[in-house]
Formats: sequence, structure tokens, C-alpha cells
Amino acid sequence: MSTPRHHVVIGSGVAGNQAAETLRARDPESRVTMITVSKLPFFNRYDLPRVFRGERDWRKFVIYPAEYYRDNRISLRRATKVVGVDGERRTLTLDHNETIRFDTLLVASGASAYMPAELAEYQPLMHGFGAFRDAITAADALPKDGHVILMGGDTIGLDLGRTLLDIGYRVTVIAEKHTFWPHEVKAEDRPRYIEALARMGFEVVDGHARGEIAAVRAGAPGLSPRRVVFHDGSEIHGDIAMPFFGVAPALDFMLGSGVDIERGLLVQPNLRTTNEAIYAAGDVCQIWSDTDKRYHFYHGWKNVRAMGELAARNITGANEPWTPIQDESLQLGSDGRIHSPFWEYA
Amino acid sequence: MNKTDIQIAICGSAGEGTIAAGDILRSALAGAGYRIIAFDAYPAEIRGFGKCVARLRVTTEQAYSLKEKSDVLVCLNDEHGIPHIGEVRDYGAVIYEEKSIVPLAEGAHVSAHILPGQVPYPVPIRELSERATGAVRSRNMVVVGYIAGLFGLSREPFYKIVDLKFKNKGSVAAQNRKAFDAGYDLGADTFKLDDVEFGAPGEMFQATMLNGNAAVARGCLDAGIDTFFGYPITPATTIMEKLASEMPKRGKRLLQTEDEIAAIATTIGAGYTGARAATATSGPGLALMSEMLGLGVMAEVPSVVFVSQRGGPATGIPTKTEQADLNIALHGGHGDAPRIVIAPTNVDGCYRCAGKAFEMAERYQTPVIVLLDLYLSNRYETVALPGKSPFEADSDKPLAKQDLGAGYKRFAYTDDHVSPRALPGMAGGMHVVTGLEHNELGRVNEQPDVHEAMSRKRHEKLRAALDHPDFTVYKRFGDEGPVDVGILGWGSSFGECLEAMFLARREGIRCAALKVVMLSPFPVDAVTAFLDDCGAVLVPELNYQGQFAQLVQAETCRPVHRYNRVTGTPLRVEDIYAEVRRLALAATRKAA
Repeated sequence: MSTPRHHVVIGSGVAGNQAAETLRARDPESRVTMITVSKLPFFNRYDLPRVFRGERDWRKFVIYPAEYYRDNRISLRRATKVVGVDGERRTLTLDHNETIRFDTLLVASGASAYMPAELAEYQPLMHGFGAFRDAITAADALPKDGHVILMGGDTIGLDLGRTLLDIGYRVTVIAEKHTFWPHEVKAEDRPRYIEALARMGFEVVDGHARGEIAAVRAGAPGLSPRRVVFHDGSEIHGDIAMPFFGVAPALDFMLGSGVDIERGLLVQPNLRTTNEAIYAAGDVCQIWSDTDKRYHFYHGWKNVRAMGELAARNITGANEPWTPIQDESLQLGSDGRIHSPFWEYA
Repeated sequence: MNKTDIQIAICGSAGEGTIAAGDILRSALAGAGYRIIAFDAYPAEIRGFGKCVARLRVTTEQAYSLKEKSDVLVCLNDEHGIPHIGEVRDYGAVIYEEKSIVPLAEGAHVSAHILPGQVPYPVPIRELSERATGAVRSRNMVVVGYIAGLFGLSREPFYKIVDLKFKNKGSVAAQNRKAFDAGYDLGADTFKLDDVEFGAPGEMFQATMLNGNAAVARGCLDAGIDTFFGYPITPATTIMEKLASEMPKRGKRLLQTEDEIAAIATTIGAGYTGARAATATSGPGLALMSEMLGLGVMAEVPSVVFVSQRGGPATGIPTKTEQADLNIALHGGHGDAPRIVIAPTNVDGCYRCAGKAFEMAERYQTPVIVLLDLYLSNRYETVALPGKSPFEADSDKPLAKQDLGAGYKRFAYTDDHVSPRALPGMAGGMHVVTGLEHNELGRVNEQPDVHEAMSRKRHEKLRAALDHPDFTVYKRFGDEGPVDVGILGWGSSFGECLEAMFLARREGIRCAALKVVMLSPFPVDAVTAFLDDCGAVLVPELNYQGQFAQLVQAETCRPVHRYNRVTGTPLRVEDIYAEVRRLALAATRKAA
């Protein structure tokens, strides 16, 4: 009797979970292991703004019940960090000193919030939004009718901002080059989109005109808890300051794996890396485009899920190229409000 | 006020401080006002081999057994912890060593086995211990601190216990406090994702936390024990240890004898002189004592024998529990040798049975066996013991002046079959005591009518024990009147029977449970009346043969359903409940 193949998936977001499900369906005899640093099972990250509406139970955000993993024989390893991958030996090393052998590896580790180097030292004064805990912590720090400062204002931040405005919070966007990320907005179109933000209820501060953000500081007694200071000396005050400067692929553990990396893991249109046993999907990879002759990142729930499925299909014998399934352009609706296709999921 | 019902299990290797961590946790939580039931499982080896598991159930309302599922599991050791992960309920917490210092093969780390419904808490236990105290041996205190911090418990009860536990050990208390604090700070800072919530303990429950053996020792002391003779054997040894530290303070004497035969012989000898005397042993020791017990019966000498059962036969599984010595307790030895056998069902019962055993031994002039087992001996419970001893200081039948003299009949036939007893040295009380059959004077006599009369006397005098004052011979719980299913239990496993009955009643099954504390003489009428009320009767016990079920059937001539396990571990509530449900369902189908 032959040993069943061991498919390992790093990451338990939408790409990883879609891949695991597909792997299970297409290779019923195999072992499927999904590894994630998160303590929580797969939850809908796009749903996190609900935390600010008062939903505090993480179980309400979880996509699959616990039985799903058991029924599909997917070994879910949470709170587990991969620290190294040996592409040649087909092993990966976990932070707690365990080694796992794989036959195929799908890297779907996603991305983490990008922080400009000049602001990194102020991170302890900012409220992140990458994990369930971050959302709870931010919501706890925000008083009723409080004031939120969205620094940068990528689409994740703007999506949260829409919810916060709807609830009744005051939301200020410090617009700069990461605003609307990952949408590529032409310079001539930018003013119209900024105006649209204002129409939606956001207070917009032109960060560039103020010389960009210089620092984030704690508020003095009698003032708001946070001050965002600009290089021109001006400052704005709020209850919490949240960074939304886009995301960066989470792939430190792949350094030294023998796989080509640029900003993300470089993959062929079939999502295979330079190692035939290793594939990548989601925000972590850059996909080669024969048309543009360059590597592209693709974002959004639907694209990422499709990548997870495609990678799993190709791991299990197919050889199909990637085709984006989601329009990536920022829309300006007839109501004058902006709309991002990345705000649609499920 | 939120009710608290949380079970914590700590799992590690012998020598890692697993049991000590459980001890500090349960002592501190008892000190904080919670009710506790706790039981430790440990290997026969002293250090470095087998698995230790400390389990404690923390409640604000009375509970009667441990739960099948734990709410929190702490794994100090991957290998030993992994098999226990399945016992953690969904949304319960699994706390474990974050990193291994040695390379691990795939699946050898706890994290590989945590189920999707459980919440993982990797903790740098070793690192925190080394940072706090410079040594890894404080890992157990780090996890105690982590639990306290994670669940928002006050540090003070823990400090108090640590200081008390290490009060004579120099800087050890301070070191342990440091380790506790290191774990506490991290726990308090950890984002809590499980749904385990400690409610306030409520009205302070003025209780002492004891295990069964400590309660036995306390009962002996409160009953005024004069002498104790013993030979160490797991799991009874701690009775002797406790008494060894307490009896000399009270001017009483304890002697470790060369073996169990000497222990029972000296106990009977002391009893003959009028001293309140006892010994403690386990199944193998009871086997050795059987012959001398017969002497105690024949010579009508009061003596108390505490027997804590363990897995057998032979050396068996010394650190695992079993209820398989009922037969030898009831019948062990040669000849018609009736004795009183009582079996407490909880720690409070251990105290009361211990004290009452001395009363009964004196009043009925016979050996009394108090039957515990490892589960009860080592089970900790918070109990409210009386401030003043509830036991009679002297239960001897009054000796009238006219009884004494030249014709003193030590073994006189009386209405209650108990003869006035003169002690050695008592003027006019000279008599002969022998293991041979004897007449009323105590002189050897093998006449058929004497043997018949004396045999009757030795048996019949014990019947009064069924009405012994202030002693619970049996007790019924649950639904009154006719029930679908009755559970008949004894000894340490009755708590599980009771919890199973609660489950059944919640599900709409008419159910009652009868605990039988006095096993010899057997309360036939009460048990028969209970059986009459039950559509079906289940007798769960921790032995293969169904020794109690056999006793019930022999005494009542009624059928019962047996549920027997010999896993070395306590019965599981859910398993008993499943049997109850099966019987109830079968009864319903039959009726239809």
C-alpha cells in the first residue's frame, strides 16, 4: 500500500481554505494539513467591522464549524508558525522545533499590514486591524461618537470607515499615496475620488499638502488620546489612529527555500513557483502575465479564493492558467460615492 | 451571580511538579471560596517515567464527581499531554509549552493535536521559569500563574498557599512567587478566546479541603484514637503519615510494624486493652490480615481497619483505582467471621465513617472495616467539618458491678448479643480470651450447642449496627416513589452515579439513586424497598465481577443490571448515564 500524499497549506484564509477543500475533493486519499499562526479557525476578515457594531464573539465570525475540518479530514494547526522551508528536501520547520515533510506545499500565508519605515516607531500608539484581537482592542478604545483617524486609507480602511460612519463615529482620512490601495487611481482622477470620500461623510485631510505624517503621539491631558503630527507642524487629534497603508506579503519563512522571490513569491500562470512541489496563492504571490510580461499581484476575496482553488487543481494534476475573475477598478457611482469591488465577498 | 463549574486538568511527567501545581491551584481556589473536587492520577514510579494528571473541578454549587470533559487542559509534557487533548470541550482552553528544546518529529508537539473547536494557548513556560527563577523546575508555578492571570483570579489566595507550602524552605516561597507572577502577568495580558468564565465564589464557603485519607485521619483523631499500627502501602500510606504527624502531639502512639500481619495483631491487641486502635492497608495487606481478623471476630475485640483499594490482584496496578476488594472485606478469612464493613462515598463520609467505625467497633465488639479506594483516598473535596467532635468518646456497653467477680462472663449471652466487656486489669474482670471456640466465660468449649449459640451471637449482635445512631446506613436521592431506573451505588463511584441520575432526570427519565454505606450487615429491607420502586436497576462499580451486584442479588433475590469497568480510572458519568438511558428506553419499548 502506498503512502498517501501529504499536501500542506500554509495559511488559513480564504485562499488556503478553498485550496484545502479542493485538495480534499480531488485527492480523497491524501493527507491535508493547514498551518496558520492564527489561534482562530478561518473567519471572515471582511466582516470584522461588525466588531464596532458590538459583536464580540469570535464564534460569530467563523466560516466553518469545527466539525467541517474533522469531516473533511483537514488537519488544522493553529497558533503554529512556519519558520523555514526546505524546497529541496520538501520539509518545513515550525517555530516550536517540529519538522513536517510534505509532498506538495501551497503557500497562502497572505499579507500583513504594511507600515512605512518612518512611522514604525510609533506603531505602539496605533490600533491595527489585521486580526480579531486588533478589532476588539480598537473598538474598546473608541468612545461613543468618538473620532477615528484613518492614516493612508487603503480599501480595507475605507471599508471599515464606511461602517464607522454608519454607526455615528467621526472618521478622518489622511489621504496620501496609499489611499485607495490597491486600486491604481490616475492622478487626474484622484480629486474626484477624494471629493467622493467627503460626500460619503469622511473628513479628508491632505497629508501630502501638510508634508506627510511625521509622527503619532499620545494626547496630553485634556486632549484627545492621539495626535497625528505632520511635517508642516500641524496636527489632528482623535481617539484612535489606525494605519491603512496597504499590505505586504507575509513570506519571511520562505527566504532560503530556494524559491524565487521579488516582493511576493514569483509564480507561473499555473501558480507554481520555481520549485515544482511548491505553489502559491493569494496576496503572497506575484503571478506572471504573458501579456504584460511582468508579475502581478491580485487582490480581493473573490480573486484570492479563485487562486486557492486553481492552485489546488494544479497541484492535483491540472495545468490551468490564472485568469482574474474580479474587476479591480475603483468605481464612482451615480450617487457620487466610491465603490470598490474588493468590498464584495462571499 | 454566574455559577462556576470549571474543570482543569494538568498533565505532565513524574517529577515535573504536575501534582504540586494541581495542589496549589485547588488549595488557592478553595481558599478563595470555591468548592473543589480533585483527583490526581500518577504512576507507580517516583520520578522521570510515567504520566501524572491532576484534575480539579471548581464549582460554586455542590458537585459530586469530576466531569468527563475538562474546560482547561495544561500540558507540561507533549507526550503525556497529547492523549488528553480530546477530553477538552469545545471552546475550552489548551495551554502548552510553546517550544521544544529538542527537534520534534511530525505530530510530536501538542499543537498538532488541538481540535478546531478548542482554543490554543502556547506559552513560553520554560523561558518564563528560567527568567523568573533561573531554573526550569518552576514551570509548574508558571502555569498556575498563567491560569490565574488568564481567568482574572486574584493573586492573593495563591500567594497565601505558596507561602504556607514553602514556609520552612528559605527562599523557595519567594522563588515560587516570582514564577507565579511571571505566568500571571502573561496570562493577564493574553487575549482570551475561550469561553471559560469564573464567576464570583459568592458567599464564602467555610470549608476545609481534604482528601479521603486526610479525612480518615481527622475522623480518627476526632474519635480519640489511642494507637495506630501500620505498614506502608499505596494508597493507604498517607493515613499513617498524617496520623504520625498528629498523634504524638496529642500524647497518642503510632507504630510502623514490620508487616501487615503484625499491624493487625497489634491493633487487635491494643483493642483488647480498651484502646481505640486502628490500622490501614490496601488489598494485598488485607489479604495478609485476614487470619487475624478472624481472631478479632472470635475474641470479640474492637478494631478498625481502613482499607484503600487499588487495582489487583497481586501487586496489580498500585496507583490506579478499583473497587475489587469488596468480597475479601466482606468474606475474607476462614470460618463464619462476620464483621462490619462500611464504605464512605465522599470525603465528608470518610471523616464520618472513620469516627463512627470506632464507635461501632466498641459497641458491637468486632472488627470494623472501612472500605475506601485510591480514587476516594486521593480525591480532594471542600468539606465543612464540625467544630466539635460528633463522635462518642466511649461506646462500650456499660459494665455493671454485679457483672464482675468470680463468675464474670466475658461472652455472656444477652438480649442484644453484646456482652459487657471487662478490660485487662479491671478488678473482678478476669477472663480468658482465645481464638478457639469458647463458652460464656471464655473457656475453650467445642460443644455443638455452644458453637451454634456463639456463632449466632457473633452474627446477630451486628444487626443493631443497621440502626447505629447518627450514621447514614443508606440514602436515597432523586425521584420519590416508582421510577423508571434506579441506580444502586457504593463507595467512591457513587458521586458519578448521582451526577448520572441528575442528567437522567434533566432528560425526563424518572430516576433515583440509592447509596449503600453499610455493606455488612446489609440493609436488606431498605435495598429491597428501593428495588421494588425501580423498573430497572443499574449497579455501576469498578470491578470485573460485579461484586456489589452479586451481594445485592444474593441478599434480595432480585435481578439487577451490572455496569462494570476496570480501567484503573474512575467511572465516567456519561457512561453511567448512557446505561440509564438504555434501560429507560428498553422499559419504554417493553411497555409499548
